[in-house]
Amino acid sequence: MSHCRRLVSLLAFALLAMPALAETCLSPFVKRLDRPEKYVYVYCVDADAKDNDFLAVIDVQKDSPTYKKVIHQLDLGTSGNETHHFGFTDDRSHIFGLTLFSNRIFLIDVASDPAKPKLVKTLENAGGPAGLGSPHTPYALPGRMLISFLSSDKGGLPAGLAEFTNDGKFIRKLSNPKDAPYGYDVAIRPDLNRMVTSSFTYYNNYKNPIAKFDFKAFGSELVIWDFRERKPLQTLKAGLAPLECRWSLKEGRNAGFTNCALDHSLWVWEGQADGAYTTRKLCDTGKLPVDLRQSPDDRYLFVSCFFSDEVQQWDVSDLNKPKLTSTLKPGVQPNMMHVTSDGKRMYITNSLLSTMDRSDDFWLKRAMITPEGLKLDEDFVIDMTKFKTGPARGHDLLLN
Amino acid sequence: MHPILLSIAVCLGGMEPPSRLAVIRPAPDVQLLNQDEKPIQLSDYRDKALLVSFIFTTCSGTCPATTHRLARVHQELEKLPDLRNKVHFLSISLDPVRDTPEMLRGYRRLYDIESPHWTFLTGKPADTHKVHADWGMWAKPAPNGQLDHPSRVFLVDPKGRIREIYNLDFFRLPWVLEDLKLVLDEK
Repeated sequence: MSHCRRLVSLLAFALLAMPALAETCLSPFVKRLDRPEKYVYVYCVDADAKDNDFLAVIDVQKDSPTYKKVIHQLDLGTSGNETHHFGFTDDRSHIFGLTLFSNRIFLIDVASDPAKPKLVKTLENAGGPAGLGSPHTPYALPGRMLISFLSSDKGGLPAGLAEFTNDGKFIRKLSNPKDAPYGYDVAIRPDLNRMVTSSFTYYNNYKNPIAKFDFKAFGSELVIWDFRERKPLQTLKAGLAPLECRWSLKEGRNAGFTNCALDHSLWVWEGQADGAYTTRKLCDTGKLPVDLRQSPDDRYLFVSCFFSDEVQQWDVSDLNKPKLTSTLKPGVQPNMMHVTSDGKRMYITNSLLSTMDRSDDFWLKRAMITPEGLKLDEDFVIDMTKFKTGPARGHDLLLN
Repeated sequence: MHPILLSIAVCLGGMEPPSRLAVIRPAPDVQLLNQDEKPIQLSDYRDKALLVSFIFTTCSGTCPATTHRLARVHQELEKLPDLRNKVHFLSISLDPVRDTPEMLRGYRRLYDIESPHWTFLTGKPADTHKVHADWGMWAKPAPNGQLDHPSRVFLVDPKGRIREIYNLDFFRLPWVLEDLKLVLDEK
């Protein structure tokens, strides 16, 4: 190897070894923000389903004249979609906006003008080519999007996954194993070549008011997949309704976490020496833990407990001794969260599903993550009931 | 389909079992100039597996790592006589204004790339930008004076179809070699 090439190689390794800013709970293939967030995107359901659903843009630049204001509403063109989760493509140029009631997927350009996202395309009957419905989790792969669907195209089971190009063309379906017919989240650890999927319920059940839910029709399975082969390897049991899947961020820690909504608990899955995985309950949480977030240093988990109106901060540095270190009461029915890349702030919304919300006081709030625990930023409250179209249920949120 | 029925169908030659590397989409055509100013198009490499990357020669970000990792694949292939003539590397410039053929020749020298199996491409800005857009790539000025761009490497099979897209952070030599063998072994 020549001297020149050796130098270039060293430079290449040095650049790759530089610590990246650690925005958590995104696909590892998504380009990370290299600066503090300027905008919060909130994916909104028009509360009475009479007006069109939309994406709201909130300016969070402290020195901006429009700080803490909704500076743009991207009309998605239709109502009653139950806009729920959305996610960046790998290059962070677009968002795939998914829906739980309409099987539509919205492709949104956030690169041309991050302050004014544009609707590029709407995929009607998006799961149709795979025989699937209720697109739930968008998970970026390089140049593609992996999507977990909650239902078949008839609204029942089995759920499944499908891959799409970044411009929305169907590539292939991944079928759930027969002993794990429910779907919910998906998360990949490429270095381990493992993917995990979780379980909720299906459209024909969750479309009903919560009082009419069939609580026997929820899954409790986690599935471990060989990611490169796209092949299910092992079905594991967790508490009822394991929702978010979060692989540990620590290199060498072959484990991950899930919040079991109907078991009111956190569970952990752990890789064993023989390559198999096991699960166990990590701790009991508040009532109906609906979202789970990680601190960039892998030390803390943040759990929003929808029915007990709290966000819990758990120290999981010792998986045998999880410790509740802080509890925040941000207001009624806290739900989706997003931790900033520096691990110092967390944004919180408070709508789960139009069939499950018990309050119409919708907001976006911010908590500060301090050495003493979570503290509500009293100076930052976005009222989500005062849009020109009336109140909106803000569910998922992204930072840009 | 039931596994037994699937096996029978495969044995009868009626269908191929699905590959773990799905067909993502046809590889868009490329009509650019190589480092020696010779016109090149993608169909010149039909029947070969391609590793297509997008870099620019003055990059101080991820491009050196991309080229370095591809060079490791190239070195490994040189030890595999069955494969080395069946794989071609294409590195397409993201900065056609600065990346003249002469710059590309200099970049090849910097990385000790003398192989006939690795071609660097540039062209008129409009032609090059069309290639970027067709492949879902982009480059835009970054605040530090560099270009911001995705770091993807595309695996194209001998039939001209994109079968895998690698993220640089997870571009593992053994996995790439396995994938190359897989697409080259297909009928």
